[in-house]
Amino acid sequence: MARIVLQRLLVSMIRFAAAGIALIVLIEFAFCVIGGSDLHVWKPDSYGPVPPELSPRPVSWAGLLEDRVRVSLPVVVLCVPGILLVGYSWGLLGARLRRFRGARLLASPFSLFACVPGFWFVGLVAIYSYFHWRRPGFANDLVVERGPDLLTWWHAAIVALPALAAGAAWQIRAVSDVLEKEVTRPYLRGLFMAGYCEEDIFYRNAFRRALPQLFAISGSTLSSVAGSLVCLEYAFRYPGIGSLLVESVKLGSYGGILLSALALAAALSLAVLIGEVAVKLIRPEGVGG
Amino acid sequence: MNRRNSRILRGLARFFVRLWQMRRVLLLVVPYLLLLGWLFVGGGRMDVRPAELYGIPEEPAWESPDAEHWFGTTGNGADLFELSRLAMATSVSVAVVSVSFGIALALLLSMLFVFDPGERRFKLVRIVGQTGFLVPSMVVLVILTGGTGGSLGVAILGLILVIAFHLCPVLADWFQEGESGFDVVAGYVLGLSRREIVMNRILPKILRRLVGVFAGYVPVVVLVEMTLSFLGLTGDRLSCGAMIAYGQGLIIEAPWMSIYPGLMATFVVFVLALLGWRVSAALRTGPLPRLF
Repeated sequence: MARIVLQRLLVSMIRFAAAGIALIVLIEFAFCVIGGSDLHVWKPDSYGPVPPELSPRPVSWAGLLEDRVRVSLPVVVLCVPGILLVGYSWGLLGARLRRFRGARLLASPFSLFACVPGFWFVGLVAIYSYFHWRRPGFANDLVVERGPDLLTWWHAAIVALPALAAGAAWQIRAVSDVLEKEVTRPYLRGLFMAGYCEEDIFYRNAFRRALPQLFAISGSTLSSVAGSLVCLEYAFRYPGIGSLLVESVKLGSYGGILLSALALAAALSLAVLIGEVAVKLIRPEGVGG
Repeated sequence: MNRRNSRILRGLARFFVRLWQMRRVLLLVVPYLLLLGWLFVGGGRMDVRPAELYGIPEEPAWESPDAEHWFGTTGNGADLFELSRLAMATSVSVAVVSVSFGIALALLLSMLFVFDPGERRFKLVRIVGQTGFLVPSMVVLVILTGGTGGSLGVAILGLILVIAFHLCPVLADWFQEGESGFDVVAGYVLGLSRREIVMNRILPKILRRLVGVFAGYVPVVVLVEMTLSFLGLTGDRLSCGAMIAYGQGLIIEAPWMSIYPGLMATFVVFVLALLGWRVSAALRTGPLPRLF
């Protein structure tokens, strides 16, 4: 097991380094080649201290990252487990009910919600909050100074909800597609002819054999969730890692851009690493080499 | 005389039979034409700038939604429904151009590897694809458009690159799937060259599925374009995203200015998504990669 973990860790680090280099090239290309800026990304002078627009109090870059990650954490805690839980359980159910197009039916409420622009939805919540509850609507309008800070979780839930809906819709269909493809394989017909019951065939054979693929599909879902959080946080004025990226891009602060993009890449690397290690550990004998 | 009548009748009957045979295609094409026709009527006024529209004059002439102006009016009295419609036409145009070129680029890139007879010819494409997930496409687009000061041209370029990047591994899979078909194996046995097999046997099947890819991606790209314009990264162009962003500055005075453009955007994206799903299902495109 240690060998597998170390092997995947090495691959993961190489990928992360490649992503970092790609980001540096992208920033240089966008700001200097097309944008015509004189500040090159490799020069230390281009970074400097944290701009006051990015933090109300004087902090170092590490402190800024820590602050923003701490704020984004409740969103991730609500969003990612929700997507995985709903996506896998409903996707499994959808594949089980494939005769009735179960996956489409189960994913349809989420797909419908995914058609709503997320930045508009969070704005609507803010407007509703202002007119009906008589309190400032956006996340940066009110700070709880005493008592339990339920407002933080409310704000995190508003940001997480659109991302969760889109991610869950995709995850349900992806899980269901993988399982539906698996159940069309010829060996399952053989099991059916041999007298296995349908539940045995589905859960003990098709599902178990599809597990590595099921783990692999969550990487792209989490990547798209991270992308949607970038605009949702900014739209709801939620001071997380996503809004740090947009604010830094608007200010032309390379430090903020690199910090936020690399933090997202590191989180995704970790998620992919966990998925890959799990795949290696649970892969049934003789499947996929 | 009778013979001529019967010929006309026969022609009419044949026409209706043909229409009946094409009913599934028409059921998809007609709503597309209706939607696009409705969006693009009056497209001559598409050079409207949202900054001018949402500026507050000394004596604002805005009106809340009523029977005459369904979505209300802006500060200078412009009808918000018409503006939202034009804004969605811009977004759909951007999406159509980006997805078309993105698919074409992805096809070109994957064709670079297809003619190689090696077993592991798509390995590079897959490795790059796996690494690409670590940098979300929205992050790439925000950096690319923000670094250049925000312009629609750069946004379209970014969208094309992102679509091509994510579609290449899918096309590689499709090419490999196509090569395992019985007709292809039979072609090899008969002595056809690799080029003949790829061009005449595999590529036509993939091109057919690309129509479904196009229909599936257009609503997604419409949403992304609106998001970028909401962030102010596509220049001062009319888009529902920009209208919502400007409208948020007037939440207290005129809340409808940020509410109703979003309704229009949701409606158009929903219709496009529904049609895209049907087209994709009809052509058996299969699951598409998440772009953003």
